[in-house]
Amino acid sequence: MKLLGTATLALNRIWATKIRSLLTMLGVVIGVAAIVALTSIVDGASQGINKSLATLGTNQLNITAMAADSLTEQDAQELAALENVSVMFVQAQNQGTIATGDKRVNARLVGVSAKYFEAVKPEIALGSYLSSSSFAATAKDVVFGADAANDLGLTKAMLGQTVKLNGQDFRLVGVLDDQAGFGTSGRVYVPIDSARKLFSQYPYVSSIVIQANTAEQVDTLQLQADVLLRERYGLGAETTARYTITNQASLIAAVGSITATLGLLLTGIAAISLIVGGIGIMNIMLVSVRERTREIGVRRAIGAKQSNILTQFLIEAIVLSLAGGVVGLILGEIAAFFLAVIGDWVFSIRLDTVGLALGFSLLVGVVFGVWPARTAAKLEPIDALRFE
Amino acid sequence: MADEVVRLDKVRRDYLVGDQVTTALGGIDLVIERGEFVAIVGPSGSGKSTMMNLIGCLDRPTAGSVKIAGDSTNELNDNQLTSLRSKAIGFVFQQFQLLPNTTAIENVMAPLLYQGKNTKEAKRDATQMLTQLGLGDRLNFDRNRLSGGQQQRVAIARALVTSPDIVLADEPTGALDSKTGAAVIELLKDLHRDGRTVVLITHDLEIAASAPRRVFLRDGLIERDERGAK
Repeated sequence: MKLLGTATLALNRIWATKIRSLLTMLGVVIGVAAIVALTSIVDGASQGINKSLATLGTNQLNITAMAADSLTEQDAQELAALENVSVMFVQAQNQGTIATGDKRVNARLVGVSAKYFEAVKPEIALGSYLSSSSFAATAKDVVFGADAANDLGLTKAMLGQTVKLNGQDFRLVGVLDDQAGFGTSGRVYVPIDSARKLFSQYPYVSSIVIQANTAEQVDTLQLQADVLLRERYGLGAETTARYTITNQASLIAAVGSITATLGLLLTGIAAISLIVGGIGIMNIMLVSVRERTREIGVRRAIGAKQSNILTQFLIEAIVLSLAGGVVGLILGEIAAFFLAVIGDWVFSIRLDTVGLALGFSLLVGVVFGVWPARTAAKLEPIDALRFE
Repeated sequence: MADEVVRLDKVRRDYLVGDQVTTALGGIDLVIERGEFVAIVGPSGSGKSTMMNLIGCLDRPTAGSVKIAGDSTNELNDNQLTSLRSKAIGFVFQQFQLLPNTTAIENVMAPLLYQGKNTKEAKRDATQMLTQLGLGDRLNFDRNRLSGGQQQRVAIARALVTSPDIVLADEPTGALDSKTGAAVIELLKDLHRDGRTVVLITHDLEIAASAPRRVFLRDGLIERDERGAK
């Protein structure tokens, strides 16, 4: 019998036992829907994380000093002179106090060089960034981070007023809206020359940040920066104690691998429900083979080969599983759409998810259909015909 | 030599039930020639079902030789036996045994499709056969919408559609009232008149009497082989 005819038999049977077929599919429906929805959650989450990381600059390398005298402004100048470096800035930071009126709290004082604001582009809530005039030798301007501003209870009226950093007078020119970022709370920003007078000794810096022209150049630049610093300090290839270089791209890659692992875990859990669904199909197919023993006997008597019977039952299992997969896919994508609306990420139907869902349900049908189908095919015609 | 469609030589069939060997047929010699109408008669346990299985290519003998339409079944594997069955035998079962969830025409098409015919040919042949048997207006009825007699005619159409060498009827009247049963027997007689070989398996002497040749079985052996009208 041609395959098409056998498929028609299988479909007829599924249609003739609609309710049972639907219930049998349910396990696969739930499994596939879960896989699709969970995949989209993981996608959405990593989209969000990558977006916030990307605002930090994917082209960026942070070279952080391990001790107060590990890195200098000369290092920074040399690094800035490397090929493909678009922007360089340095930071010198220390714990200190900030005060206004009779209120005084601890904060992290950050001295930054002129390119800092241009490169990082933090959101501004009030006033402005440190301007080029702020970087003039005599200017004593400060920009507050959101948390530092909150700690002191600063209001809009205080823009242009005097605040004290480590007891010295500074003029408040702006407040950042940087709550969304991480690691920037309780900070105040001053020009690096002011920092030198407050806490930091020339020429040392706590970190140097360089940006490559394009994201593709970051890895090479990281290598070049490392080589340059090793040569300057006569460090062997093994020693790294003086500084660390971190790469935003590798951070993103790390987050990517975390979300991939998370995705794998969730998909694994969903796959278990798919397997349970497959066992459900196998169970019903075995019952069906038993119920239809007579029919199998008659079919064998009127000329069906073992392979005809095998194919008929196998196709039935595959159709059940695949139909469950299609329904599950649709339900899963609908769920993913609403999750995307709620979670505020971009909804997209990924072809690999579609392929995975359909592929897996096909596989489940084959794997869990083979045994019942073989059982049916191996029935002896005379026993099957006599079966009551 | 006449055309032998069934030849059984010293056929023996033993079954293993638990660790006990039971002999269902204990040495049968039987020849059925093309165009004969033979009833194989016997009470239950006489071995007539085993005879049906052997003649119907559903089973192979333990010893001796079974030749159906010239082919010995002894050496055939499952696939070859199925092919021979598909070509040589048309079954008419007790209680019709129409396939579930299928229409009259789908039942009759099934043996043709299993032979590898395409759907178009199978549909044409099945329609022709059902029309011959007076069911041309019932082609797409499923079995719940067919009367007992109609179902039996669908079963006969299914047996005949492949033009088998032997029509093998197993207690074909068993599930029918006497009037419908008689109609079925008339149908079998018609087939015989048309030159077909008909083998009827029954326990019912009255039904058996409608066949011109009657082979009586008892305890796995042929008790007597009668010919001529009774």
